[in-house]
Amino acid sequence: MASAPSETADRDAAPARPAASSAPFIAHKILIAGGFGSGKTTLVGAISEVRPLRTEETLTTASVGLDDLSGVDGKTTTTVALDFGRITLGRSVSLYLFGLPGQERFSFMWNELSFGALGAVVLADVRRLSDCFPSVNYFEALRLPFVVAINCFDTAPHYEADEVRAALDLDPGVPVVLCDARDIASVKQVLIKLVETVSRSRT
Amino acid sequence: MTVPPGDRWRPRGSGPVVRPYAVTGGRTEPAHGELLDLVAVVVATGQPLTADDRMRQTPEHRAILALCGTHVTVADLAADTGLPVGVVRVLLADLTAQGAVTVAPRRPASQRTDTDVLQEILNGLRAL
Repeated sequence: MASAPSETADRDAAPARPAASSAPFIAHKILIAGGFGSGKTTLVGAISEVRPLRTEETLTTASVGLDDLSGVDGKTTTTVALDFGRITLGRSVSLYLFGLPGQERFSFMWNELSFGALGAVVLADVRRLSDCFPSVNYFEALRLPFVVAINCFDTAPHYEADEVRAALDLDPGVPVVLCDARDIASVKQVLIKLVETVSRSRT
Repeated sequence: MTVPPGDRWRPRGSGPVVRPYAVTGGRTEPAHGELLDLVAVVVATGQPLTADDRMRQTPEHRAILALCGTHVTVADLAADTGLPVGVVRVLLADLTAQGAVTVAPRRPASQRTDTDVLQEILNGLRAL
């Protein structure tokens, strides 16, 4: 598939290096959700290189009292940084992990981020299990396949997956797994579980 | 004429000198076309530009174009240039209008992902 050499003499021209592989490149989105401090950034960093992504978002009244705007009355947008990481799987497929901003006041961003997503991982901290309720409710309502991954913090009490499942009142089809967000092998298992769940939901 | 003391120096870490949307000439919405998804794949066409178009390109346009040679998504472009996603979308719409880049068609969310692709992802993850 050699493209005809262009006659262009300008050095500023676009780099003409179209994809060499035959299959079209596909980027799939996986969301990493969970409460503040549940280990989202750690998980993304364990399996990929985390890069910050800047987005300019409209300020809402939800941020009043949280984001100090005194003296900047005209400010209507704010920069929200998201963490994301890319996992390249072969030549034609990549996974993009996006950490959803945990705080409730950023939930308006979730719709855009969830659009076209393959599925989601909800990270749970058993010491603050209620922090992951908003994410669980959101993905259930969206009917987006997800897994709940209990991040086993060293200092946290140990609970079995079934106990957490009962506490979250999860659908039987939603897997609950124990994980260590710092450990690549553990994170890999979580993602494999998620993709298996996605496969099952589509058959 | 005195300079107010606060205006003389900018504190460190106070962010970029240029406001984000200054590089788009104040435009916050792409000229036309739909809002690009974060994982939409952008490809440079390699098509030569008219002299006019080339003159209209800003350094940010060229920075984006230079990154579009290989498989790259909107999220990659924003992270690599340090520009906010909204700004990248506006600049990409300009480059698309010039014919410099194209966006690979994204399959609608309702369409089911091929079993093959999911299997490829699983195999890839297991091999990591």
